[in-house]
Amino acid sequence: MPPHLRVGVDIGGTFTDFALLDETTGRVTALKIPSDRARPAASVFAGLREFLDGSGARAEDIAYFSHGTTLAVNTILEYNGARTALLVTNGLRDILHIGRHRLPDIFNFFTDMPRPLVRRAHVVEIAERCLADGTVAATVTRAMIEDAVVRLREIGAEAVAVGFLHSYRNPANERATKRLLEELAPDLYVSLSSEVWPQMREFERTLAGVMNAYVGRRMERYFGDLEAGLRDEFRLAAPVLSTKSNGGVMTAAEAARRPTETLMSGPAAGAMGAAFLGRAAGFDRLITLDIGGTSTDVSVIDGEPRYSTDNHVGNFPVIMPAVDVTSIGAGGGSIAWADSFGVIKVGPQSAGARPGPACYGLGGERPTLTDAFVCLGIVDAGEIAGGRVRIDRALADRAIDGLAAKAGMGREETAEAVIRIATSHIYATLVPLLARKGVDYSEYTLLPFGGAGPMHGLLVAREVGIRRVIVPPQPGVLCAMGALVADVRRDFVRTFHESFEKGHGGGLAARMDAAAADLRREGAGWLDSQGLAYIARRFRPSADLRYEGQSFEIEVSLDDVPLDAGDGPLISAFEREYEKLYGYAGVGGRIEVRELRMAAVGETAKPRLERRDNAPEMAPLAVRTKQIFHDGAWRDAAFLDRDDLPSGVEVRGPAVIRQYDTTTFVPSGYVVAVDVHGNLIGEALR
Amino acid sequence: MSVDKVLLEVLANRFTGIVEEMGYVIHRAAFTTFVKETWDFDSALVTTEGEVFAYPRSIGVTNMLSMSMAAAIEAFDGYEPGDVVLTNDPLTAKGMSTHLPDYMMFRPIFAGEKLVCFAWCFVHSSDVGGIVPGSIAPHASDRFQEGVVIPPVKLFKAGRLDEEAKRFILANCRIPEQNWGDICALTAALATAQRRLGDCVGQYGVPAVEGMINGLLDYGEARARAVIAALPDGRYEFSDYMEGDLLRTHNVRIKLALTIAGSDIELDFTGTDPQVNAAFNLPTHGMLNQFLVLGVVNFLRTSDPGMPFNRGMVRPVRVKVPEGSILNPTKYAATGIRYTTALRVSDVVMGALSQAAPDRIPAAGSGQFGLLTLSDLDPHTGGYVVHVLQPLQGGSGGRPGRDGIDGVNFSGGALRNAPVEALELDSPIFVTGYRLNDAVAPGRWRGGSGILFEFQLLSPHAQVSSRGWDRFHLRAWGRDGGEAGPLGRTWIIEPDGSTRRIPKIEVLRLAPGQAVRIVSPGGGGFGNPWQRDPEAVLEDVEDGFVSAEEARTAYGVVLREEGGVNAEMTRALRSGRPQNDNEPAAFFVFGPEREAYEARNPPFFQDLVVEALGGQPTSSRTILRDRIYTELVDRGSHGGMTLKGVLDLIAGAQDEVSKPVVRWAPPDRFV
Repeated sequence: MPPHLRVGVDIGGTFTDFALLDETTGRVTALKIPSDRARPAASVFAGLREFLDGSGARAEDIAYFSHGTTLAVNTILEYNGARTALLVTNGLRDILHIGRHRLPDIFNFFTDMPRPLVRRAHVVEIAERCLADGTVAATVTRAMIEDAVVRLREIGAEAVAVGFLHSYRNPANERATKRLLEELAPDLYVSLSSEVWPQMREFERTLAGVMNAYVGRRMERYFGDLEAGLRDEFRLAAPVLSTKSNGGVMTAAEAARRPTETLMSGPAAGAMGAAFLGRAAGFDRLITLDIGGTSTDVSVIDGEPRYSTDNHVGNFPVIMPAVDVTSIGAGGGSIAWADSFGVIKVGPQSAGARPGPACYGLGGERPTLTDAFVCLGIVDAGEIAGGRVRIDRALADRAIDGLAAKAGMGREETAEAVIRIATSHIYATLVPLLARKGVDYSEYTLLPFGGAGPMHGLLVAREVGIRRVIVPPQPGVLCAMGALVADVRRDFVRTFHESFEKGHGGGLAARMDAAAADLRREGAGWLDSQGLAYIARRFRPSADLRYEGQSFEIEVSLDDVPLDAGDGPLISAFEREYEKLYGYAGVGGRIEVRELRMAAVGETAKPRLERRDNAPEMAPLAVRTKQIFHDGAWRDAAFLDRDDLPSGVEVRGPAVIRQYDTTTFVPSGYVVAVDVHGNLIGEALR
Repeated sequence: MSVDKVLLEVLANRFTGIVEEMGYVIHRAAFTTFVKETWDFDSALVTTEGEVFAYPRSIGVTNMLSMSMAAAIEAFDGYEPGDVVLTNDPLTAKGMSTHLPDYMMFRPIFAGEKLVCFAWCFVHSSDVGGIVPGSIAPHASDRFQEGVVIPPVKLFKAGRLDEEAKRFILANCRIPEQNWGDICALTAALATAQRRLGDCVGQYGVPAVEGMINGLLDYGEARARAVIAALPDGRYEFSDYMEGDLLRTHNVRIKLALTIAGSDIELDFTGTDPQVNAAFNLPTHGMLNQFLVLGVVNFLRTSDPGMPFNRGMVRPVRVKVPEGSILNPTKYAATGIRYTTALRVSDVVMGALSQAAPDRIPAAGSGQFGLLTLSDLDPHTGGYVVHVLQPLQGGSGGRPGRDGIDGVNFSGGALRNAPVEALELDSPIFVTGYRLNDAVAPGRWRGGSGILFEFQLLSPHAQVSSRGWDRFHLRAWGRDGGEAGPLGRTWIIEPDGSTRRIPKIEVLRLAPGQAVRIVSPGGGGFGNPWQRDPEAVLEDVEDGFVSAEEARTAYGVVLREEGGVNAEMTRALRSGRPQNDNEPAAFFVFGPEREAYEARNPPFFQDLVVEALGGQPTSSRTILRDRIYTELVDRGSHGGMTLKGVLDLIAGAQDEVSKPVVRWAPPDRFV
């Protein structure tokens, strides 16, 4: 048989998730392996070994191998990257320290700005200067960089980033610096802000360069180890791909060069997987809710995921386009506690991966959201994730009892209060977030995933008033699934600073067209350089436009705007988008182009999912009825195994549906049906 | 508390979700630059008595929590579903409105026929008419120069737009389309609140929702009282100054006696100087105003971060604000820049509170932010274009257990700056420096540094205007032996590199090749610098905030030439310092400038002047005060001055004052 297996991997803090898809049947298998924090590649090898051994498949059968890692983002959050120095334009020494101002919490006297990745002492000013129009006013000289290298040696730098003013416009001085550094100090890892992301805004661009330098070496080593292991030990022939923050993939070699593009790849892959499954099930407009042990993430999908250029890693801004995923809370490990007035609170502290919820028996004693579900009988005691986690109900009860004493309530009332309060927290963050994104959620379907998403998702839907919910077949490994269905993609940007008036554009659209053609060539070259097979290539231009004098830009897709037909179509496209966003036509006046963007996409073949059509004669379901505490009383709930559920079957809440990687809770007021792909489709009863 | 505590927490979260959703609706739909860049807008849910019971945490201007809408609500006899009220009037909507640019709107929230509460929101409009574009004129001497007053008007009556009111309002501002866009955004936010609260009432019923609204306020109050009750009872006095140069008078003192008794706090501002003939008056009408209690709210929030965010927090607070003072001016006083005053009030409250909670409150921060705008002729239209340059805040004060924050202070903590690249791209400016100041106030926990901003102008028509500067003459105070913060400064740099100091910028043009350098003030230090960890001093030296010489003289830390701390010599130097352990450190360190000022104008004398002026008509107090101070400064002495002496001076000045000629003095007279 020709290669027919697709392997998607997502390395998280606790588990490394695998989604394995057989293209001949469309069937997906899920697998979870504990992550090896010291050597992340090892858990990839271990999981792959377990899968191959278990299924009798061979590495040669693998046609597609893609994976995502949190190594870069964790290196930054934990401040354990390379000793990095920064070269800046004279007078801009504190570019990283000043940032964009704005304190994380202005109500707290003890708040702090995020500590920069580079110390002030390790910033070296260079007497170079480029002007806003791209003119080089002061050239970088050999002597300047020789002096800088002396400083870099004193500092003991291992990596160096270069962030000069206006290098997005003219990178000559940054490039000259790199050439000289490579000659004078070839051992240093060098990142240029203009190479990583050439967009106007010196702080964010420089920070992107700094992050790249900070994690660069480690990522090179990691991807080197991974590729070597997969080639030598497994004889893998398929290209090794890495997921990206923009929802696409790139080769591992490219990821080693541009590791900042992987910073938000995990959540992005989850959204890509959700979009793919949602589309297959016939739902284009989704709100995804990824609840893990330590975080709760939300994204909005309109056919495809939305993108954002206002992203964050910790408190650091990241302006490279990424799938728009927002963290809104602490997840299943959120700790419940009572204040001195006996009012129960949930979070923001989390029991994290270690010790985790009390019921895991790993030393956690404080009650978490997960413990509350266990205490109510919704999550069964026993083993989950193939026996890798064992749940002890007595431990959950004991943790909840401690809280119940402080709150002056019974055990189950307390556990349910914890869940209600956690749900109201999600309301308090989710609803404003959707308003910010301009989403009218009455038209959307909620797609919960992650280890704790299906457990809590329908309760969230009930609280917020979302009528329909879809729980995908393997909600616990959706990020790994997303890695399987991504396209090869890279984004390009060019800052373009011109303004024009209606009817007086003087051919601006034509100049943009020429610049877009340049970006398209650059994108095509990049797709070629990846050496992968594409079924189609797409180039998607867009531009950031605004009315002159306004402080905010609007991204306008240029997919259907003929730039070679004068300025008219460009202006109408902007005005249409403006009205859509703000509900009224613009004020008129001069329109300014700030950025021209291009997404170069190499489309890859997508797998077809398995269909399980209605069995003509349904065998009676193996339903067990157990008591759970729900909506203030003990009630009978149907307990079912998800693997046994044929398509077409309907289950009315309260019900609990269990599977390898998660538990789905159907509260009263909802009915769940199984579709042909095995999705659970929940609907509110009218 | 007898209420259902679970429902209390559930609805608290729901209400927070609603006010934050309102905030994002405004942010998305509003037009004004202030909204997009500085988040100068807000939203809240308010009881039928006018108390804020739900307030956003993550969006908005963050200082309106303690406002009272009672007077604004009382402006009408009754409300119908669909009514929407608009106002900006500090007089009829007292307790809520404080200056004209804030368009404030609210609507009653009904469940059927039953009025449950109000939803409220505002934006700071970029122009509401008045003497200057933008409506904020520092030298405005009465409200009517600051824009058009809109007393509470039902813009929508039972859902129906009052076209006449709309036309009247929009005819009296310079940017009617934008303002209408903002009003539409606010209206949309209020409609959102009605819809979401409708869901809430549908789910839980009116009695439960009403019960929880009151329960939440009680809960907020109870948690605030728990924090206050843990403070030692006592009367704590403090005062600080607003520098006189931009106010066109002698330094204006804000004086406070803060009394803690059990779980109650009283703020008594008796002794605060008279109102000024400029736009810095804070119109409190003698009531508990949100801008009088910023320091209290921040203290409570820091002490108990989980405290529910509502006006219950300030129920334990009472205020006494003398009539005719800068904090309670007469009804038509100009108030456009009252926020500068509010920042100093906040510092004064913190100074008083820190005596009751010495280990929980930082030293003073820069307590200001300078706003710079650049105007230039637009080559396309021939009209003026205005660019907003960097807001320059300054460092925060050193904190118990932590250094101050560099470049940012709590007073402007929500502001964003602009990229230098964007400034150079959009406006005729060439930036030669934008970085932290290298000087910081010594302390065991050092003060945060100010910001240095240096630039040239590239157009012959370009002109810079600015406002908001303070602590250029009187330093941010240090605590517990920590030094006072470095002052703000402004220089001109000539093309040949020579520099000269200039006063605070109000309006500035530059010749080709000239540059201006502004350094914003730093925060004060906290604790004896001789007790600072030598390694932290070393780090500051390496980072360029402290010189090796200063390490030795200010911190008692000796460094090795080859790098690192010389532990032995440091120990020897520190133990040899006589006052090190014997004398308690000064609780407040004000710096030489304030000491010199108070030597010339001692607090007892300032008290006498305020007292003597109390008998004078408010309209002449400012001028009389000015005369008295000038007289004594000219004489060089106030020795043995008594109340009678001051009254005599007043009598002597009466004659001149009654002549109807008032001139603005040049600003440097008051430096």
